Amino acid sequence: MSDDDRLLADLRRMWQVADPPPPGLGAAMVATVAAADLDEEWELLVLVRDSAGEDLAAVRGLGTARMLSFSAAAGWSLEAEIDGEQFSGQVLDLGDDQDPTDVVVAVETRAGESWSTPLDEFGFFSLVAHARGTLRFTVRFGGVVASSHWVEV
Amino acid sequence: MSENRGAEGQLHESPWDAASGAFRAWRAGDATAVDDLVTTMSPVLWHVVRAYGHDRQTTEDVVAATWLGFVRLHQTIEDPKAVASWLITSARRGAADHARKARRATPVQDEALAARLPDEESAEAIAVLDDESARLWRAVASVDERCRKLLRVVAFMERPDYRSLSQELDMPVGSIGPTRARCLAKVRTALTEGDTHE
Repeated sequence: MSDDDRLLADLRRMWQVADPPPPGLGAAMVATVAAADLDEEWELLVLVRDSAGEDLAAVRGLGTARMLSFSAAAGWSLEAEIDGEQFSGQVLDLGDDQDPTDVVVAVETRAGESWSTPLDEFGFFSLVAHARGTLRFTVRFGGVVASSHWVEV
Repeated sequence: MSENRGAEGQLHESPWDAASGAFRAWRAGDATAVDDLVTTMSPVLWHVVRAYGHDRQTTEDVVAATWLGFVRLHQTIEDPKAVASWLITSARRGAADHARKARRATPVQDEALAARLPDEESAEAIAVLDDESARLWRAVASVDERCRKLLRVVAFMERPDYRSLSQELDMPVGSIGPTRARCLAKVRTALTEGDTHE
């Protein structure tokens, strides 16, 4: 081992102690990979609208509700409304050949907790999830897994 | 990373070896081995992304995005030995992309980000270090930001992929090796100076 390699090893040890990753990082990433199911096609749901940045709630008389809209590259979208622990919304434009009742929407936390429900025949969903802080939505159907980025609520 | 660390947080087996072993086992049909791969490599990816000056939350997001990319593209990794460097390269690219986007969106914030490292965190960091590591921390904090970034990335890489590193750090390929040596020399000088001041 050269002097340079030794100094680099010392630096590595120093950073491991001085700036360690969060204690739950490994578990959170294991959950991320597990949720993404290695055999399935993964895609990202992109946040296209967030009522937290608008006066939408006041206009629509929604009071405390938070509205989020996500879109998938494949063309479909997820509209979600969060009011306390009540999560509801709709998945739109899935295509005529996709039965909405075979589609599952999940609310997931960084700690790996998950609450899920299938859509009804009109593409609507509603569920109660004790999820606060940082969470994301994941939609699964026919080998597709689409997750949003983490959202603070 | 608990299973391959001692009480002092030191590695017993190199994470790169552990990663390729886990990847090989997973490919051979051990479904749980992927968890070992993720647990082993996540802390390494954390340090690599932090080197780019991202805050802790953003760092975690970039690491998660790296794993999701792995889920999508793992079939393209032919050699199990290459899994660690594939992941590190992917994390570095994610970190560099994110830094570029942040600069475009909020130039002021990005400058603030660069200025904040590592001074604001150093008091907190030094508090948990033994004397030797604290000396190192102060020495590293006194060298320029580019050196700090290069050394932190290289410290967590097995065989630095100089070609892609040079693109991200905006340096000629041939200069990475010499730059690494120069940056380490700066740290040594700072260590010596620190000792004479104490």
